[in-house]
Amino acid sequence: MKELVDHMEEINRLMARYGVKFGIYKHGEFHEQLFPFDPLPRVITAEEFDYLEKGLAQRVDALNCFLADIYSDKKIVKDGVIPEDFIFSSKGYLPQCEGIVPPKKIYSHISGIDLVQGKDRNWYILEDNLRIPSGASYPMIARSLTRQASPAAFASNHVVDNRNYADMLKAVLDAVNTGGINVVLTPGRYNAAFFEHSYLAEQTDSILAMPQDLFVENNKLYYRRYDGRDEQVGVVYRRLSDEYLDPLCFLPESLIGVPGIMDVYRSGNVALVNAPGNGVADDKGIYYFVPHMVKYYLGEEAILHNAPTYLAFYEKDRKFILDHLERLVVKDVSEAGGYGVIFGSDLTKEKLEELRQIIIHEPRRFIAQEVIDFIDLDIVEGDEWVPRKVDLRAFVLTGETTKVWPSGLTRFSRNPDSFVVNSSQGGGFKDTWVLSR
Amino acid sequence: MKKLHFRYEMTLNLSQEVVDHHFLVHCRPMASEGQGLIGFSCHVDPEVALNYVTDGFGNQGLGGVIRTPHDRFHVTAEGEVDVRVYRMRDYHPMYRFQTPYTAPDERMLDFLRETERMLRGPIRGLDELNFLMGRLYGRFVYAPGVTTTRTTAAEAFAGGRGVCQDYAHVFIGLCRAAGIPARYVAGMMTGEGATHAWTEVWTEDGWIGMDPTNNRFTDDSYIRLAHGRDFADGAVDKGCFVRFAIQTQQVYVKVEEVTGYA
Repeated sequence: MKELVDHMEEINRLMARYGVKFGIYKHGEFHEQLFPFDPLPRVITAEEFDYLEKGLAQRVDALNCFLADIYSDKKIVKDGVIPEDFIFSSKGYLPQCEGIVPPKKIYSHISGIDLVQGKDRNWYILEDNLRIPSGASYPMIARSLTRQASPAAFASNHVVDNRNYADMLKAVLDAVNTGGINVVLTPGRYNAAFFEHSYLAEQTDSILAMPQDLFVENNKLYYRRYDGRDEQVGVVYRRLSDEYLDPLCFLPESLIGVPGIMDVYRSGNVALVNAPGNGVADDKGIYYFVPHMVKYYLGEEAILHNAPTYLAFYEKDRKFILDHLERLVVKDVSEAGGYGVIFGSDLTKEKLEELRQIIIHEPRRFIAQEVIDFIDLDIVEGDEWVPRKVDLRAFVLTGETTKVWPSGLTRFSRNPDSFVVNSSQGGGFKDTWVLSR
Repeated sequence: MKKLHFRYEMTLNLSQEVVDHHFLVHCRPMASEGQGLIGFSCHVDPEVALNYVTDGFGNQGLGGVIRTPHDRFHVTAEGEVDVRVYRMRDYHPMYRFQTPYTAPDERMLDFLRETERMLRGPIRGLDELNFLMGRLYGRFVYAPGVTTTRTTAAEAFAGGRGVCQDYAHVFIGLCRAAGIPARYVAGMMTGEGATHAWTEVWTEDGWIGMDPTNNRFTDDSYIRLAHGRDFADGAVDKGCFVRFAIQTQQVYVKVEEVTGYA
C-alpha cells in the first residue's frame, strides 16, 4: 500500500498527460478538469461481490423487462402496480419509441447503478443510470497505471483483474449487432466524457464516429470512411443524448444527430446502445417502484434495497415528508446528477416552509429519502489519511446474459461534510478492488 | 359519408442553396376505418426516392433526402378519400398529460374554473366540452400572423388571438386540465387554404373530433393526416438541411367533395 501512496503524484501526473479529464458546465461555460485519483483502493470481498452481482443483475433484468413492457403492452400500468403519472408525464418517456422492439429485446445494455454502503454494512441503491452512464474508463486506466507502479500490491493481494471491461463491452456490442461494424458515436470533444468515448472506442476495436460521419441510405446506416468507402453499421454505442440522436424524430432545430437513424432502428437494421427512451426507467420518481418491478416481472424479492423513499405523490407519504422534512433529503425528479438535491437539515425554518409549499403544489416532482449514514473511507491528503464519504457506481452489462464488471467507480466527496459524491459536483475517485477469494 | 378529392402543395424557398436536406411529410391521409384511401400520389422536386415511414404515434409519413444543392423544395400530393364519421379507439395514457405546448397557466385555469362554475359542476361529457369550446371560441379571435409555430397555449391565450394550431393547443390544455385526455390532429378540411388542426377528446365512445377554430364537432368533411400530443408530434412537415438559409414556406390545400357519389 505504501508503494501505491508513494506513486500517487506520478499516477495523477500520468493521467493528466493521457487526458483523463472530466468536463463540467459552470455558469454556462465548459471547463475540463482533472478527476483526482486517490491511491487507497476500496476493497470488496469475493463473498460480498457475489451478493452484489446477484442483486444488481436481478435489478437490471427487471428494469429491462419494464422498458420492454412500457413501450409495448404496458401491463404493469394496466395491473395498477405503477400509476400512469410516473410514466407518461416523465421527460424520459419517449412516445416516438412506442412499438419499437430493439435487437434481442435489450434496452439497457450498459447500466450504471449507484450504491452506498451504510454504516450498518447494508448496501442501498441510490440511483439507476440507464441512459449513458459514464465513468468506467477511469478505474480501467487507473488500474493499469497502478499495476505498473506497484506490481507487488497486486501480486500479494488477490485482486480480480478489471481490465476485461473492454472485452465485456465488446461482447455486448457483438451480441446485438445486426450486421456491420461497431461504432462509438460521440458528440465531439466538448462533451464532458469525450476522453472516455475515444478510450472505449480504441479498447473495443470500434470506430469512433461523429454524427456527420454517419448517414442513412435505403433504411440502413453507414459510416463514411476517410478513404470515401462506405461501411454498414450494425451497432452504435452512442454517447449522444436521446433528443439529439435524430433531428427528424426529436428536435428539428438540433444541429447534431443523424437524420433518419430512428427509422433504421425501428426497422431492426441497427442496434442502438443504450436504447432511446430508457429515461422513463431511471427517473428518480420511478426508482421508488423498482423493487415492485422485480416482484412483478421476475416473481422474486429484490435482493438489493432502495434507500427508504417516500413519494410525495401518495398522500400518506406526502404527510410523512411534510412532517419530517428537516431530517430527510428531498430530490427533484426532473434533475440529473447531483443537482436538485436538498438536505432538510441544511435549511432554515423559512426555507423549510417554502419547500413544503412547493411540495404541496407539485407533489409529482419530488421524492424524499432518509439520509443514509454511509461509510467513510480514507483518502490521502498531503501527509495525512482523512475519511471521506464514498459511493460506488457498479457497471452492469447486458448482452447474451447480464454480468457485473468486477470493479466499479468509487467516488469520494472533496468536502468532509458533503454527502454528494457526484463527479459533476467535484470530488475524486478510487480504484475498486474485488478480491478473488 | 363523403368522397373527398384533395390536393396538397408545399413550397419551401431557401435564401441560399442547401445540401443534405432531409425531409418528412405527413401529407398522406391516415388509413383507418374512418378514412379509405382510394387514390394517392406524391411528388417532390428536386425528385428523389420516397420512403414510407411509421412513427411511434402511428402516423405514416413520406421521407427522403436531397443530397444535391437546391434553393427550392416542392411537394405535391393528390388523392381521393372516402370519409365517414368514425371514432378511433386507440387510447394512450400519454394524452392525459400536458406538454410544454399545452401546459395551462393561471389565466387558463381561471377560465376553466369559471366555466365549471357556470356549468355548476366539473366537465365530464360532450355537452360540457361543447360549452367550453363555445366559450373559448367567443373569447379567442382568429388572426393569422400574430403567433408562430413556437407559441404555447398559455401565450396564445394571453394574447387572445391566433390560428388553428393555437386554438387546438389551448383547447387541449383546458381539456387535460379538466381531466379529459385530448390529442392534437393535423389535417385538411373542405375548402381552399392551408392545412388545418383540431382536437380529439377521449370519451367512452372513443376519440371525438372537436374543432375549436370553427366551434364545431368534426365530420366527414375533415381528412386526418397525423396526430400526437401537440403540434411538434403531429407536424405535417419536418426537415433539416446543411448550410444556413432563411426559409419561407407556402402551403396550399384544396379539398372538394366529389359529387355524383352515393
